[in-house]
Amino acid sequence: MNIIETQNLTKIYGNFTAVSKLNLHIRKGSVYGFLGPNGAGKSTTMKMFLGLTNPTAGNFHIDGKTYPANRVSILKEIGSFIESPAFYGNLTGEENLDIIRKILGLHKSCVDEALQLVGLTEFRKRLAKKYSLGMKQRLGLAGALIGKPPILILDEPTNGLDPVGIHEIRTLIRSLPQRYDCTVLVSSHLLSEVELMADDIGILNHGRLLFEGTLDDLKKSAQAAGFPTDNLEDTFLAMIDEDNHKRGSAI
Amino acid sequence: MSLVIESKKLKRTGYLAAFLAGGFLAAAFPVVYMMVKADEVTMLSGNPIDILMSANWQIMAMLNILVSICGACMMYYAEYADNGIQKMSVLPIRQGNMFLGKFTIAALVLSAMVVIETAVLVGCGEYWFSNYRFDLAEVLKIAGFQIFVTLPTVMLMLVIASACRNMWVSLGIGVILVFTLSILPQDNAVLSLFPFASPYQMLPAAIESGRTVLFLVVCGIETALFGVAEVIYLKVQRCFE
Ligand SMILES: Nc1ncnc2c1ncn2[C@@H]1O[C@H](COP(=O)(O)OP(=O)(O)OP(=O)(O)O)[C@@H](O)[C@H]1O
Ligand SMILES: [Mg+2]
Repeated sequence: MNIIETQNLTKIYGNFTAVSKLNLHIRKGSVYGFLGPNGAGKSTTMKMFLGLTNPTAGNFHIDGKTYPANRVSILKEIGSFIESPAFYGNLTGEENLDIIRKILGLHKSCVDEALQLVGLTEFRKRLAKKYSLGMKQRLGLAGALIGKPPILILDEPTNGLDPVGIHEIRTLIRSLPQRYDCTVLVSSHLLSEVELMADDIGILNHGRLLFEGTLDDLKKSAQAAGFPTDNLEDTFLAMIDEDNHKRGSAI
Repeated sequence: MSLVIESKKLKRTGYLAAFLAGGFLAAAFPVVYMMVKADEVTMLSGNPIDILMSANWQIMAMLNILVSICGACMMYYAEYADNGIQKMSVLPIRQGNMFLGKFTIAALVLSAMVVIETAVLVGCGEYWFSNYRFDLAEVLKIAGFQIFVTLPTVMLMLVIASACRNMWVSLGIGVILVFTLSILPQDNAVLSLFPFASPYQMLPAAIESGRTVLFLVVCGIETALFGVAEVIYLKVQRCFE
């Protein structure tokens, strides 16, 4: 069963098409890796899911609900983290999470739990604007994870983390569907990273979906298309490269 | 609910300090004025409160407006500085409620200032005017009227601040509006109804010219209109981001 589905989802800025006729299928209880180079349209797609920007055309369903009619009830189910962390610099990490907790109507203990989960307990009394980049990133993650929402949308969650942090967060994301019975949509630039976390993969380039399926499907279709398959990163680069060539000749 | 959350967000922003500083200045002004000019002023005939207001209210109203401008800028600076507002817009709340919470706080702060100011005017009346008789109903009417005619300014300033990511832009717009509308003639019936101009209107003068109801109705409509404009802006904004 798909918990998120899009039909020809399109976003056009002026005369620039950022996302073009996207048809995504995200299975309930899976980790979906959303992959693509800079400017591919990953963040734009996620922003449409969260109602931060309106689609130009097409539509999407999240858990059977549609935007914009069910905006608030869609948002009730999603924990999210988009691009750079968004917080109140004049408040401490703990106060930031407490505001989110109050809005979501959760129990007080959820704040400590979330801080624990991302390893910020020690720094909870420090002002968020005095946090290091990685700590801000962790605060953003805590804000997404608080209250164990059934759907998580995470945009490059490991950005700016140290190697230990990257490993921790990857392991955490990998374990989420079993632990909390949730679905995760996570974006990244690195296939090698997505490979470690995701069940399904969607590859995006210049706003178009090049591939969608499991890792095995990817290997099979790459073999069939004559791409290198011994190293998945090379497969990814070759796919993007070929798509760019096609686009180049089309223009 | 949203009132509690909105007031928590103002922690350490200097909002309270700005309000206290503005309130203190506004309260000090008539006292200083009377200390210097008591002899001349107490000679005038008429209701002491009316005399005190016509001598001091211009400055006090301007301070109220300036505090409202600073307050609106601070409120939205806290939202935009580290993009907290983006986190808010992906949480299951209506953006309009958040704005309403901010407006309520701003209106309460304004009310507190006006109450302090009228209290100081009463104090000056008691201290310097031998013919002054304290009348609670009169004082409350004055405070209520002055709060009400300042509300459109408070609302409009919040709308401006919410639309500008850069605090300096909203501050600049606010200051320009203050000066433009304070230069324009005060006695013009139409101009005096504009936000940033209406706060200078005083209840005694309004009663005299029979415009009390006009002011209350127009300011009420303006406040509601700016509020509706914000709600529409919040909806339309999503198409352009
Ligand atoms: N508000 C906007 N106005 C105009 N163009 C925009 C806007 N937001 C994004 N874009 C453009 O849309 C395209 C896709 O941007 P998006 O942020 O979705 O990419 P991304 O896949 O998240 O890239 P990255 O990996 O660098 O984060 C980019 O070319 C970007 O310049
Ligand atoms: Mg991005």
